[in-house]
Amino acid sequence: MSTKIRRIVAGVSGLAATSFLAGCAKDAPQDTWQPKGTNAKIIDDLQQPVFAIAGVIGVIVTCAVIYCIIKFRDRGQAMPEQTHGKPALEIGMTILPALILAGVGVFTFRTVFDLSKTSDTQMVVNVTGQQWWWEYDYPAQPEMGITAPIITSGQMIIPVGTKVLLRETSRDVIHSYWIPALNGKRDAVPGRVHTLRLDADKPGIYAGQCTEFCGLSHANMRMETVALSKEDFAAWVANQLTNAKSPAEKTLAKEGEGVFLNQCVRCHQVNGLKKADGTPAIAAPDENVWSGAAPNLTHLMSRNTFAGASFDLLSPKCRADVWGASSETVGKKYLAGVSEECLNQTDLRRWLRNAPAMKPMYADPAKLTSTNGKYRGMPNLGLTEDDIDKLVAYLSTLK
Amino acid sequence: MFTPGSKLFLGLTGFVIAVSVIYVALVDSSVGGAVALLSVAIGTALLAGLSLFNRDGEVAVGDVAAPAGAEPLTSSMWPLVATVGFVGVVAGLLTHPIVFFLGLIALLAAGVEWLIQSWSEGASSDKTYNASIRGRMLHPLEFPVLALVGLGVIIISFSRVMLAVSKDAGAIIFIIAGAAVLFVGSVFALKPSLKKTLVVGVCVAGAVGVAASGIAAASNGLRDDLVKAKKEHHFSHKECGEEEGEHFDHLAEGTISLRSNVVATIELRDGKLTARELGVDKVTQTITFPRSNDATIIFRNKDEKEVRLTAFLGTKAVQDGVVEEVLNCTQMIGIDHEQALTFKIAKPSMASDKPYTLTVPGLEGQSIEIMVP
Ligand code: HEC
Ligand SMILES: [Cu+2]
Repeated sequence: MSTKIRRIVAGVSGLAATSFLAGCAKDAPQDTWQPKGTNAKIIDDLQQPVFAIAGVIGVIVTCAVIYCIIKFRDRGQAMPEQTHGKPALEIGMTILPALILAGVGVFTFRTVFDLSKTSDTQMVVNVTGQQWWWEYDYPAQPEMGITAPIITSGQMIIPVGTKVLLRETSRDVIHSYWIPALNGKRDAVPGRVHTLRLDADKPGIYAGQCTEFCGLSHANMRMETVALSKEDFAAWVANQLTNAKSPAEKTLAKEGEGVFLNQCVRCHQVNGLKKADGTPAIAAPDENVWSGAAPNLTHLMSRNTFAGASFDLLSPKCRADVWGASSETVGKKYLAGVSEECLNQTDLRRWLRNAPAMKPMYADPAKLTSTNGKYRGMPNLGLTEDDIDKLVAYLSTLK
Repeated sequence: MFTPGSKLFLGLTGFVIAVSVIYVALVDSSVGGAVALLSVAIGTALLAGLSLFNRDGEVAVGDVAAPAGAEPLTSSMWPLVATVGFVGVVAGLLTHPIVFFLGLIALLAAGVEWLIQSWSEGASSDKTYNASIRGRMLHPLEFPVLALVGLGVIIISFSRVMLAVSKDAGAIIFIIAGAAVLFVGSVFALKPSLKKTLVVGVCVAGAVGVAASGIAAASNGLRDDLVKAKKEHHFSHKECGEEEGEHFDHLAEGTISLRSNVVATIELRDGKLTARELGVDKVTQTITFPRSNDATIIFRNKDEKEVRLTAFLGTKAVQDGVVEEVLNCTQMIGIDHEQALTFKIAKPSMASDKPYTLTVPGLEGQSIEIMVP
């Protein structure tokens, strides 16, 4: 074998081996071949046979090509007789793929209509994308125990075995919501509301990520859907409906609340937080952030990731415990939230020290002319380590 | 020895100085006009000096004999343009920046043209060759600029006419003008043998006609309703009450193409206001609306009279102590018609003392609450 051929063979087999081995990945939460909900299964039921048919045809074509290459290679033989056209074969080769595609098409259309069904929806969540995180708001739905609107970010909580309708939109550019284990993706387009139905068979944490390129930190715009048993969901709702309680006087957390009022409340809402004069503190992200929103932090420690689900609020050990839990125990562990011992101090402090250094964002005050001085993301607020200690103590109380 | 050119410019200088004295004495003693006129005098005096110094650029004058075959140089209009530009620059400094910039452009253009022209004229003794290299240098610059200026004049003139005449007359003028252009263009295309002077004559006449009507129309001003609209700002002012507004409800749209992907559809039927949210098969009296995000609802009138839908979107402080309601509304919607309404609520419901609502002015006891999380 010449070195050239040897190199080609090595390259091709290397590539093949890599893709083959990639299929063996154990920790692959965004695997489209492992449906965990009704709609994902509907898609899977279509993609399995289509993949099989395409695979068989692919193998046949590849073998035929390889056979021809070897059998008819140039060995110095005479030029064979040249023919032009073979109508019967050509027509046959046109009709056969057309029939295959028509067959696939029929099932595809059926699947598309099945997936778009919303009439038997049991619960609604409004999902709003913005650079570079997802906000969820749950309209009041007394039949689901949701007596007043709930608002959260990054992780969407749903009750297991419940047909949940997402109403997606965006505050800035086009994003796309995709939890591979639960359904296909659907674009969140500014000015429009798109619907997507999800449901999960079993409790668990299902990961996904924004799948429409949306700018600088698109790669850091992740999300999770967390499915809880009906009882656990009710407990989660009950907690979300409460307001944040002010920390006891003369504690570090109380001082942190003061720093929060000074530095953070212009973007972040904490329900129940009061200003020094006793009136409710209302955040004004519409005046400070380009998309007009920043995550509501009332129950920050009830979720276990932050900043577009890109970082863990749980220390590695505690995270492994929750994320690796069986479907029977994951609910209880998730509901425990982020305790003092489990808090990922390193990453939260790093975020408060200099958020844009952790996640690329347009947050340099000197470069905001194109957005009228508004930030896209969270700026570096130049906090002292002292302030950060206080803030961490305060944020830890937002259970 | 005064050359002919320098005589002209000297005469011009004297004339302008005389004019400026008369102007200051009789017309306007403020400084603007006098400066403009005097700077013309300075410009012409400068040119007089120049042509004296180089003897009108005519090597044949005086003691140096012209080389064999030399032809008189082409006359140039650029010095004049430069003068006008200079005047513009000075006048612009005193009056309006736009005059300054136009003057500057004229000055620069004249500079470039003049430079290249005189350079090309010295390039060889062959006059046609000189003209051709001048053209090669300058045509890529001149043609687009001239086309732009020509088109600009025609577009601006035509738009002045359209703004001055009534809407009906406007439509008729548009049809006639379009048909005339089509007709004349077709004749030119079908009869390539037409005399060039005729074609040019017709085009020039047309352009001059358009420009003249434009000037006439501009001096006449806008048509009455536009003048009024400008004065009253009524295109930005929505009248959201029970009564039909004088301007806002004029020519209401009654049909929409955006039927899906809206937050909710609000319907008035038999005196009852109801809402239906996207994706939920249920009639409701409360809708959730995204916070701090433009979003759209549809209002459909299935009742027996014309009504509008008015959204109460909170309050805002306009001055110290004065608080105004923020309202947005559809136009008066006819029976069986519908309209989309897009708005944005920046703050959550808890920030407003009164709930955000959708109501039909004049219809008591019916309202849809807008929940903003
Ligand atoms: C100028 C507005 C602004 C200010 C001020 C601000 N933030 Fe943020 N913050 C944001 C934005 C925007 C995000 C979302 C960033 C992302 O995920 O891309 C965010 C994210 C966060 C998150 C992650 C929340 C989650 O659920 O993902 C935390 C925690 C946080 N900020 C804390 C603070 C604290 C504490 C302060 C005050 C010291 C503060 N922020 C000040 C805009 C701001
Ligand atoms: Cu995105």
